[in-house]
Amino acid sequence: MLLAGAAVALLALVPLIFIAVYAVLVGPVEAWHLVVRPRMGQLLWNTLSLAGACMATCAALGVALAFLVERTDLPARRLWHGLLVAPLAVPAFVNGYAWVSLDRSVHGFGGALLVITLSYYPLVYLPAVAALRGLDPALEEASWSLGHSRWLSFWRVVLPQLRPALLGGVLLVGLHLLAEFGALQLLRYPTFTTAIYDQYGSTFNGQAATMMAGVLVFFCLLLLLAELRLRGRRHYARVGQGAARRAIPVRLRGLRLPMVAVPTAIAALAVGVPTYALVHWLLVGASTEFPLAELTEATASTLVLATLGAVATTLLALPVAWLAVRYRSRLTTAIERITYVPNALPGIVVGLALVIASLRLAPVTYQTALLLVIAYAILFLPRAVVSVRAGLEQAPVVLEQVAHSLGTGSLATARRVTLPLIAPSIGAGAALVFLAVATELTATLMLSPIGTRTLATQFWSASSDLRYGAAAPYALLLVLISVPATVLLMRQERLQP
Amino acid sequence: MTASLVRRAALAAAAVLVAPAMASCSLLNPPDLVVYNAQHEELITEIVPLFEEKTGLDVELRNGKDLEMANQIVAEGEESPADVFLTENSPAMSIVDNAGLFAPVSEEALAPIPEQYVPSSKNWTGILARSTVAMYNTDALTAEDMPESILDFADPEWKGRVGFSPTGADFQAIVSAVLATEGEEATAEWLAGLKENGVVLQNNLVVLQSVNAGDVDAGIAYHYYWYRDQAEAGENSSSSALHFFGDQDPGAFLSVSGAGVLASSEHAENAQQFVEFLTSTDGQQAMADSYALEYPLNPEASLGDEVKPFDELEPPVIDIATLNGPQVTELMTEAGLL
Amino acid sequence: MSALTVTGVTKSFGDTVAVDDVTLHVPHGSLTAVLGPSGCGKTTLLRLVAGFLDPDAGTIAFDDRVVAGEGRPATPQQRRVGYVPQEGALFPHLDVAANIAFGLPRAERRSPGAGSDRVDEMLDLVELPRTFRSRQPHELSGGQQQRVALARALAPRPSVVLLDEPFSSLDASLRETTGRAVARALRAAHATGLLVTHDQAEALSLSDQVAVLRAGRLIQAGSPADVYLAPHDPELARFVGGATSLAGRCDRAGADPDRRHADSDLGRVSLTHPAPADELVLVVRPDQVRFGESGVAARVDEVSFYGHDAAVRLTLTASGTPLVARVTGPTAPAAGDDVLVSVYGPVHAYPAPDCD
Repeated sequence: MLLAGAAVALLALVPLIFIAVYAVLVGPVEAWHLVVRPRMGQLLWNTLSLAGACMATCAALGVALAFLVERTDLPARRLWHGLLVAPLAVPAFVNGYAWVSLDRSVHGFGGALLVITLSYYPLVYLPAVAALRGLDPALEEASWSLGHSRWLSFWRVVLPQLRPALLGGVLLVGLHLLAEFGALQLLRYPTFTTAIYDQYGSTFNGQAATMMAGVLVFFCLLLLLAELRLRGRRHYARVGQGAARRAIPVRLRGLRLPMVAVPTAIAALAVGVPTYALVHWLLVGASTEFPLAELTEATASTLVLATLGAVATTLLALPVAWLAVRYRSRLTTAIERITYVPNALPGIVVGLALVIASLRLAPVTYQTALLLVIAYAILFLPRAVVSVRAGLEQAPVVLEQVAHSLGTGSLATARRVTLPLIAPSIGAGAALVFLAVATELTATLMLSPIGTRTLATQFWSASSDLRYGAAAPYALLLVLISVPATVLLMRQERLQP
Repeated sequence: MTASLVRRAALAAAAVLVAPAMASCSLLNPPDLVVYNAQHEELITEIVPLFEEKTGLDVELRNGKDLEMANQIVAEGEESPADVFLTENSPAMSIVDNAGLFAPVSEEALAPIPEQYVPSSKNWTGILARSTVAMYNTDALTAEDMPESILDFADPEWKGRVGFSPTGADFQAIVSAVLATEGEEATAEWLAGLKENGVVLQNNLVVLQSVNAGDVDAGIAYHYYWYRDQAEAGENSSSSALHFFGDQDPGAFLSVSGAGVLASSEHAENAQQFVEFLTSTDGQQAMADSYALEYPLNPEASLGDEVKPFDELEPPVIDIATLNGPQVTELMTEAGLL
Repeated sequence: MSALTVTGVTKSFGDTVAVDDVTLHVPHGSLTAVLGPSGCGKTTLLRLVAGFLDPDAGTIAFDDRVVAGEGRPATPQQRRVGYVPQEGALFPHLDVAANIAFGLPRAERRSPGAGSDRVDEMLDLVELPRTFRSRQPHELSGGQQQRVALARALAPRPSVVLLDEPFSSLDASLRETTGRAVARALRAAHATGLLVTHDQAEALSLSDQVAVLRAGRLIQAGSPADVYLAPHDPELARFVGGATSLAGRCDRAGADPDRRHADSDLGRVSLTHPAPADELVLVVRPDQVRFGESGVAARVDEVSFYGHDAAVRLTLTASGTPLVARVTGPTAPAAGDDVLVSVYGPVHAYPAPDCD
């Protein structure tokens, strides 16, 4: 088990090793020259200002919406909850395509901030809802009894309690943004990731691209460290007995109906606009084609790759999470954390590292589905590890001991007790990876076997040629195959209060 | 619970079984020819079926961009799965040629192509050509307002008015022409001016769109973007016109799309056959008749009347083998455009 | 022969000796309580018996079957002990019937008849309605979960049932009823039980034998009455049942050749055994302190009224010695009252630590 975990960690380190080796090969003088040039400053400013702004808007929007839906007497709260989570099924680059194709003035910083916020706010909204739901209402009640108004209580009691969930979500927004490529490229907002892609387009594995990747990875690691620190300090709610009491909802009184406008507006912008754009381009787009055979082929390869990626990644996550939860030690914690590192890497960096590594070490695997699936596993391992880990934490070892004392052997215990208990979490982890793989673009472009076309690559090819109509069916299919996994995740959120 | 678990496990097992099947797909049914294609995907997917029909061979395409694929082939070296490499512009061909990875192109393939479109090494051949142009918005400018030379776009008077796509191989090929005709210092100066003045756009289609919409007054691109749009509905070219620099200005640079056969090819014969098809009158005419509107190089083939005739372009005389991709990338990185 | 025999068992974690040379016999069909404050090693002892831990030294045997200490220790699944952990730990993904049938052989589990009968039988035994079969664990109260956990442990007819603080998470009234129901069920099943608890009332009221553990060592093992009436030392006396310690003195020169009396701040008291020394520690149970017309003057500091009885904290007027008395509720004095107190019945005497 330890060996398996160490192997997974080593795999996760391949891209970092690649960057480190190339940075050394470039040499310190040249490396410094490439890092301090003006373009880097511009990209740095672009990337950090957008990341900061998006983190702030997502935090504000996510918490406000979570509070509105979870803690007020807003009408039809369940409906709004569903609609507010729905943007998870719309990949950011599809959202970007929708806005750009409808209105070319959506671009640059403002456009990027709008589109990214609308795509990413559920990353804050979901944990905020879960935290609000799990929060003991007695805390708030104690605050009221001490003479605080509801508003003051929210600031002084509720918000601090939400902080871990909130910060975790916000950092996730930051990490996603640093690695975002498609949407920002469509919105003509250059960041490190798009610039790396451009450099790659000109040089394949040029020194400038490697140094940019190095700088990007540095910032990602900073965010990641912050996230890990928070995760470490987070106090998990006791697995209590009986149903948790629901907090008394805030009465919106006269604002009850006007407030409906808030989730309506967000849902209209985040779900309505992409839906409208897709339907519009399907119906009236000049270049609308419906090449059924190509669509079917792309859907099939996307489904197969996403399924393979999800299965492989989840299998790799199992030993890592198992070690981290059941055999906690410095070594196993280190193994777990190492697997989080690729969370900070754009697909293109991982893709490039695997191209070089496979050509050097195992040319047989070059441009095979196997290598592509390995890339997916490296990229999305953190998502699976987090889920599986959470599941294992909810399957206390005492249950296995009880099973043993009842005469059940290790294998039977795994089959009859542990697996059924962690199956939902494994499913959730696999669903997350499935979603991520289905929308993955850059690593797929680089590593896919010759002739493989996925929905994402086809969509990209059409939309960057401004063939919006031709891109629409691919985008629609992408959204459709993302729906089941999104619903699964929503259910999961409900299961774990 | 157990039943659903079993079902889930069965699904997972099925998926695991599909994996090697997927991976070995190309092993079980290997293509007869692998083409690394950096030319427009739409054009080549139109031409390949004609070749397949003629020869009964099965062709697989891997699509990408000029320099990316050229550098990828260099990185792959002997292991490259590619048999044929097609580009939009010649600098990418030179990268592969300079790495010694091309096999000589067959006499039959070279025969129909005028020699100025074939490098002295004869390791690849030109197949199509495209002319550099400036597009301008007809509401904002007239033909008289357009500069005599593409170098003039670096002047302050064009600040914020000229759009271009520096990340594309097309523009980088244009830069290589400036480099070849004007030298390194002038090129660096020109790039610095463009960095200061220009509006960076995602690709040439966006340049076309932005010029037509009046977001910028003028833009640098190749001729066919505008002609293609005219041939369709003119949605993105109705309020714009083309300006050909002519007069051997670097702005009249004629960029040559290339085709070459990899020395490491396992299907060398098929590969030569494919390149022969591309330069043949049939192949050239098919490309000329396609939506692409690029100039065929085989004199036997001809493009429609709507496009400015090939012999009126007055391009600068440049030895295509000398266009230097890596140096251009370096200069552009230096200028902060990459 | 005992159902469970623990002989000289020792277990250390690093430098900490959790269980130190413990020897304990648990007779067939009895319920033995292992009593001690938290951290005394009682849970470690139970986990050693269950097989979740292996002892550093000593042997553990079920009847004449040695499961640890000779050769390779038997795994938990080979030992077939029933294990009832804290808070029940029911399998959350299984309903009550599936939880109870979990340890039954596959054939019995699968066939609706036999396994089903056993589940009903177990539900009857733990006094839960048979309609609970299809309930999910989260639909049960804490006490009900504990009963299902016991039914699950008893279903495969284990030789020994281990209960690890099974009632600690329940509230007071539920703790008592659940505890009694569990004890009844164990007796009805003729099962041998080992109950780990820090609650002396639970240990005294439910078990046939109380084994007191302190800092990993077995201090005393005996019937509840023995442990209450003849505790091994004053500390144990205070821990089991609560008691006031007083200094006492047995005058060798006095007219008491049997040395069955001692002088103290409460006057002259009789002793359960001959005084072991001249200077003594006397242990006075709260129920031995009586209020009356005669005795030593004291002032009432505080009264905790429990209904049926009351705890009265006093200070002896002359000596300033604090004292706790337990009287029936209605007869309790009020705080501030001046009363006369005396000791009823013989008290336990131990040598004073300073002497001898």
